[in-house]
Amino acid sequence: MGRRAWVLAAIVLLQAVAAVFFVGDALADVREDGWRAHVLVEGTIALALVAGVVLGALELKRMLAEAQRSADALAVARGALGELVAERFAQWGLTAAEADVALFALKGFDTAGIAELRGAAHGTVRAQLAQVYAKAGVSSRAGLVALFFDELLDGVAGPR
Amino acid sequence: MDANETATVRGWDPLVKLTHWGIALAVLVNGVFTEEGSDWHVWVGTGMAALLLVRLLWGFIGPKEARFSAFPPSPTRAADHVADIVAGRKLAHASHNGLGALMAYALWATLGVVAVTGFLMSGVPGTASARVEAPMVPAVTAPLAPVAEEADEEREEADEAEEGEGGEGAEGGEGPEWIEEVHEVAANLLFVLAALHIGGVLFETRRSGPAVIRRMTGGVRG
Repeated sequence: MGRRAWVLAAIVLLQAVAAVFFVGDALADVREDGWRAHVLVEGTIALALVAGVVLGALELKRMLAEAQRSADALAVARGALGELVAERFAQWGLTAAEADVALFALKGFDTAGIAELRGAAHGTVRAQLAQVYAKAGVSSRAGLVALFFDELLDGVAGPR
Repeated sequence: MDANETATVRGWDPLVKLTHWGIALAVLVNGVFTEEGSDWHVWVGTGMAALLLVRLLWGFIGPKEARFSAFPPSPTRAADHVADIVAGRKLAHASHNGLGALMAYALWATLGVVAVTGFLMSGVPGTASARVEAPMVPAVTAPLAPVAEEADEEREEADEAEEGEGGEGAEGGEGPEWIEEVHEVAANLLFVLAALHIGGVLFETRRSGPAVIRRMTGGVRG
């Protein structure tokens, strides 16, 4: 939404400048020549521009609120998934080290990557992952990931 | 309600940023560069007035942080903020802090006076009321005073010429002298307020971090 909001804001401001000009011009004409057709036309243009400014501003506000809502929803979803993961890890009785390894696995790191990140030996990580799979009742990394996806898709985790 | 210690404060919305920097630029340009009473001066002033009007409209219908209701002009809030400063408390404000709010209203009121008096003198550019040149005394720069006197004389001559033609001079676009006086005083006040405003922002930035400035300078997503 970023760029569109900026463009809309800029258009609103341009319209406002035009509106002020026409209102001022119409006022000057009235003072000079009284009410004539020309003034009515100018007044109409001014009115249309003012309406455009107000509607544009309202639309901009809607756009900003919409963007904020999606950002909030995303944050909630992230937080919710994080909570779900922590909750399951606790249920399965993962040790702190296992929970770390499991989280890295969920985030897509392979065994070598996890070993490097944790400064541990490949064998250790592989053993820890095996423990995680066993406690979670799955046989592979894909199975582990699927557990969470399944819950999310089912709505078991519960929309807020 | 506007104090929140955990949440990161969001940047101002595009309309707030555009009006803020647009008005700042207009004030700088008209205070320093354009010749008072010139077409350019009046054009820039007209644009500034439009930006001001939109920002005020935004104060009623805009997002929560941009609304007047988020930062009512309140001596109590200002005093609270002073207490925060004294106590070294650094609260994040979703909108303006108590002192900043007062400054915003002071700046807007002054801008409004400058815009209205400017309009009373010159109307909008290219229109009947602006066609008769209305040279003005430079508002800010004292060294230009001799020039100002010349301009004054010119204008008085124009006045006389007009009266000689039997016109009342009303359409000449130069109201009474006091309008010009008010315009100048308000313009000078504007620069004092702007300096205080910048000082306040710098102070608050040193005190509680660069977030204050980044909200107004941040980029498209800022």
